[in-house]
Amino acid sequence: MGPRPGPWRSSRVQGVAEALTGIYLCHCGTNIASTVRIRELGLRLEALAGVALVRDYPYMCSDPGQEMIRRDLREGLVRRVLVAACSPALHERTFRRVLESEGLNPYLYEHVNIRENCSWVHSDPEQATRKAYELIRAGLLRLRRLRPLSPTSFPVTPRVLVLGGGLAGVTAALDVLEAGFEVVLVEREEELGGWALRVGRGFPFLEPLEGFLRGRVEALREHPGLKLYLGSRLTGLEGFAGNFTARIEGPHGEATEEVGSVIVAVGFQPFDARRKPEYGYGRLQGVITTVEFEEMLQDGGLPEPEGVAFVQCVGSRDKTVGHEYCSRACCMVVAKQALLLKQRRPETKVYVLYMDVRAFGKGYEEFYERVQRAGVIYLRGNPGEVFERSGRLCLRYEDTLLGRPRELEVDLVVLAVGMEPPEGVEGLAKVLGVPLDRDGFFLEAHPKLGPLDTYTEGIFLAGCCQGPKDIPDTISQAHGAAARATQFFHQGEVVKEPLVVEVDHEVCSGCRLCEAVCAFEALRFDPGRRSMSVLEAACKGCGACAVACPSGAIALRHYRFEQMLPWAEGMLIEGLI
Amino acid sequence: MAVPRVLVIGGGIAGMEASLQVASAGYEVFLVERRPWIGGRMAQLDKTFPTLDCSSCIITPRMVSVGSHPLIHLLTLSEVIGVEGSEGDFRVTVRRNPRYVDESKCTGCGQCAEACRLKGRIPSEFDMGLGKRSAIYVAFPQAVPMKYAVDPERCLMLTRGRCGKDGPRCQEACPQGAIDFEQEAEEVQIEVGAIVVATGFDPFPPEGKPEYGYGRSKGVITALELERLLSASGPTAGEVLIDGRTPKRFLFIQCVGSRDHQTGNRYCSRVCCMYVAKQAHLVKERIPDARVTVCYMDVRAFGKGYEAFYERVQRDGVIYRRGLPSEVFERDGQLVVRGEDTLLGRPYEEEVDVVVLAVGLVPSQGAEELAGTLGLEVDEYGFFQEADPNDPVLSPRPGVFLAGCCQGPKDIPDSVAQAFGAAARALAIIKGARGG
Repeated sequence: MGPRPGPWRSSRVQGVAEALTGIYLCHCGTNIASTVRIRELGLRLEALAGVALVRDYPYMCSDPGQEMIRRDLREGLVRRVLVAACSPALHERTFRRVLESEGLNPYLYEHVNIRENCSWVHSDPEQATRKAYELIRAGLLRLRRLRPLSPTSFPVTPRVLVLGGGLAGVTAALDVLEAGFEVVLVEREEELGGWALRVGRGFPFLEPLEGFLRGRVEALREHPGLKLYLGSRLTGLEGFAGNFTARIEGPHGEATEEVGSVIVAVGFQPFDARRKPEYGYGRLQGVITTVEFEEMLQDGGLPEPEGVAFVQCVGSRDKTVGHEYCSRACCMVVAKQALLLKQRRPETKVYVLYMDVRAFGKGYEEFYERVQRAGVIYLRGNPGEVFERSGRLCLRYEDTLLGRPRELEVDLVVLAVGMEPPEGVEGLAKVLGVPLDRDGFFLEAHPKLGPLDTYTEGIFLAGCCQGPKDIPDTISQAHGAAARATQFFHQGEVVKEPLVVEVDHEVCSGCRLCEAVCAFEALRFDPGRRSMSVLEAACKGCGACAVACPSGAIALRHYRFEQMLPWAEGMLIEGLI
Repeated sequence: MAVPRVLVIGGGIAGMEASLQVASAGYEVFLVERRPWIGGRMAQLDKTFPTLDCSSCIITPRMVSVGSHPLIHLLTLSEVIGVEGSEGDFRVTVRRNPRYVDESKCTGCGQCAEACRLKGRIPSEFDMGLGKRSAIYVAFPQAVPMKYAVDPERCLMLTRGRCGKDGPRCQEACPQGAIDFEQEAEEVQIEVGAIVVATGFDPFPPEGKPEYGYGRSKGVITALELERLLSASGPTAGEVLIDGRTPKRFLFIQCVGSRDHQTGNRYCSRVCCMYVAKQAHLVKERIPDARVTVCYMDVRAFGKGYEAFYERVQRDGVIYRRGLPSEVFERDGQLVVRGEDTLLGRPYEEEVDVVVLAVGLVPSQGAEELAGTLGLEVDEYGFFQEADPNDPVLSPRPGVFLAGCCQGPKDIPDSVAQAFGAAARALAIIKGARGG
């Protein structure tokens, strides 16, 4: 079905103006069109009263798709727009902007999700098509009752709160400062630097890292734009993008800071190897972790073993400990440590027990080859257990290349512990109002195009708290987070969507029930008027107060009862249009 | 005071995101793209791993944003040929090659392409040669800018000076009179405070591994070709067809042109393990009774949600066989793969309908020359060399930053994060320069 206007019908709906509605159906390539019968759907929708036209296109979000809507708006064929496509989280804004660009109020728009709600969850085209029809029918009833809204803009506090003073936090903070904005940095420990400070040398060039990081820490500490809270933590965050108030608790009591955005860079903690008791960590002498071995390499406390075995994926790729994910850096950490050991003690036999060697960064594969050439022996297969035998440590494992159980005797076992979210991350997530992913790391807003954004506007992610990563990837991300967190500072103001509640002062009795349910302190009692007033800047539009209000005095804009009830009816009843 | 403008070289996902980041902060951007349209490699992909989100749905709105942003000056068909000055004040010479179509007149109606004498006779680069186009064309229906371009290598007017007896049909067909064969290349000078390089990658040319039979057997294709076959907007509208038939036995070969001394590409290309997992899943979804085997050395599923996806694909019934095949050949018209299964420690032969080569990533053509122009260096493979191995964003030349695969292979989230990072560094240089 190519682009063409449907037959024009007059509205049978009384008392609802502007029924000139255009419906646009997206195929989403084959994502929708392979399950939902677009043509049939279009014909049924065309028959509905007040529908000026129905069009469809392979990708409505593309330039030609958007242009299709623009042209209809320009020619006055439609006055309200409904797009049935993917999730509104992806493209509601895209199409609102289309309306805006043609001078129409962007809120006279309804986005209906027929991908996640229809084609992706149903395999029967019959049912998927019917459901799509019903969802769109409901959307039409709501769309007719939507009112024009205007966004509000607020001034911005050009200051970034950086949580965490490790490599990611320090790098991001420096970028923010160099861009000419201020930074408030909160670090739980008593010094800056985090885990990276404990790393002696980097991979794949084995360059000493201390100077690199110390230089950045020094530059940061000396910067006049920095306000540093050491030994402190965030206990509260209120407000919205551009105007947050942060509560910080530290050794000198509680403080509040005004900031415009937040970068979360709280890092990781190493997996506790005791949770793999079969490896004997904490029980057997000579079983240590890569964290401890890194320290030994630096302070010279390297023992003189005849044989050393590194065990990969301890606490990674392991459902028995609830960590299905790969920790991304351990393969290279082990390669580096094995090589440094071999360089210092060439006579030591060094083994690495692995599942897959993941040497994917720049120069990593070449480094992995170099390590093998240096005499480090890679054995494919992770051990089932480590035990003591005649004063040595014995690893029992299956060599999956030989397809046969083997035993390996060494004097030192180094467990390559993976990364997990740092302690207290759940509490921090609650304070920030940012969700965690299923592994407990912070969840990014979009896996592809929003890897550093969160679902809360104004809060951004950097480094390992978003997922394990190595030093270059952490730094790259930290630079990026600094760009994201300061982007709207350059404009000096932030535009807030007008989707907030409003109070009908004629009806409000001032019972203050709503005040108690608001999590954002957005409702205040006005003694003069003896009714409630709304702090628009603080309101997140959750609607809890509208539900709690016994007299129906509070309405959530764009989701008013008179907009939502027809929508619900439209979902259930045919013939309302 | 720095010049408050940024030059971004390359209009793929990294260059686009860097441009949008700078422009959204309120600064002007010159986005220079060598091809007639932006979008780069990501626009060619069907779905993205591990969420299976549709690639077009993610990238086309970004292309629209770039194309319509008032602060982004999009220079397509353009190349940077000279850079003088230093951080904060670069003077850049850009050669703008002719489109032979007046952008201000073209409406993108496509009547020219319909009329072209060579319609349906030129292999489409966008479809990896699997589809055909005209000599005047747009790469794909959602291209930005939606302006047709003449292929100067193929157009009869431009190669022979004449088109049939009665002159070029495209010109006749164009209702706007937009086609202009007299257009010439021109040089423009621009001044910027910072430069972001985002020239991306090319797929490894599979001819470099002759033992896998690419070009000899129709059943041997590259992963990017399969991507186009899987794509709804591809030449087969999303149906996987080889030689007109639906294949049932698929075998993927990992690390083609990666981790390989023979080709000189010793590096890991970082994305192939996951794109193969994704494609294997999509093949199983489209052809449920297909047998799908993946031959690998190590499975590198290291990103967020990647390991879980790799497990899911194995649960789908995709067979992972450790060990790369040594050769692919035809026996009595039947495609045969020979290799050693290193887990079983035994050689095998497998008869298949399709062999998909998981080609690695190599620097995009011309990267080394551009590096010379910019005063930068490339590594032994031709990727741009960063100043500090720990900081992939910084190039050795102050004021010039790196983003995406031009610095080394990486996946989309890592490219985007780096692009934001490059934008951050560029913004730090030009900050406060606006209006001052």
